[in-house]
Amino acid sequence: MQFSDEEIEQLRPRVRFKVCYEVGFLCPDVDDIVQETLTRFFAAYRDDKVRNTDAPGAFLNGICRNVILEYRRRAFRDEPMPEVVPEPPGKHLPEADLLELQDAIAAGMEQLSARDRRILRAYYLEEKSKEEILKVTGMTDENFRVVLCRAKERFRNIYLDQTKHRRV
Amino acid sequence: MGVDFHHDELWRDHVVTEYLYHRLNPDLVQAFEAHYLECQDCYEEIRATELLIRGLGEPILQRRRVNDVTVLRFVESSQLLAASLELTELTKAIRLQNDTKVLIDMSNVSRIDSTGLGVLMNCYCHAVKNSGALKLLHPDSSVKKVLNVTRIDSLLQSFEDESAAIRSFEASQS
Repeated sequence: MQFSDEEIEQLRPRVRFKVCYEVGFLCPDVDDIVQETLTRFFAAYRDDKVRNTDAPGAFLNGICRNVILEYRRRAFRDEPMPEVVPEPPGKHLPEADLLELQDAIAAGMEQLSARDRRILRAYYLEEKSKEEILKVTGMTDENFRVVLCRAKERFRNIYLDQTKHRRV
Repeated sequence: MGVDFHHDELWRDHVVTEYLYHRLNPDLVQAFEAHYLECQDCYEEIRATELLIRGLGEPILQRRRVNDVTVLRFVESSQLLAASLELTELTKAIRLQNDTKVLIDMSNVSRIDSTGLGVLMNCYCHAVKNSGALKLLHPDSSVKKVLNVTRIDSLLQSFEDESAAIRSFEASQS
């Protein structure tokens, strides 16, 4: 089986995100790790080494983990591993892109009603459970799902819009 | 593996959020990564959640200095009600920053309850104790009504014009 250019282009950002998640968004070698992962993956595919060709994610994930481990061994051979600290998205973007992304996020936030923002803040930032939020707001489970899905849909569109012309 | 990440949207959302905060257990991380590497929908869900959390994390209170007066403004439509994030942010902004001359732009505040009034009075006392003052700018009619009924408007001055409000701080100092 061959991968089309479109499939490869879809795969690359996912692998890139996984690598960034592991080594940090500011790591200068992210693209090298991604390239090495994809090269090994396609070579294994070509040589029929992938057992489950319908679900190659686990295989690709394994290759990616190995490449990251090798990278870390090389990079930190004589030093202890630094703790991985989650970084906010977009930190790695050029300033102009970052400003545009911030504007897009601000516009997305403005589209949410004050009530929706309160609910989403309570859920994502204050870590209140769904049950607590339902109790305080008097919403139904269905309403809560709608608020969440509506917000996600907006931000998914923002993401897709941003990826049209740059790497987010 | 065998984990179905699409059977419940809320559960998937929980997994995505925990993953982004690096709090997912290692087995589930592995299963989820293997899944989203081949599932564009879940990958987009991660990126959308990431942006949403980032947007929600933006400060809701804007702070700027005019002369020696701190002007605080709620950047989005807000309600100063019990247990609201706005009240926590307001208290933090005034008490933790040790600002004593504070003008709160209330133009985006649509409601206030007794807890909100309590916090405003608390901040007022903090400012006065430190030889400062706390004043309000552009309170809307419903907020004005509450301030009037509770007679708090006799202590907390309100203004419709920002420069007049700023000048009033200088006047009260002299």
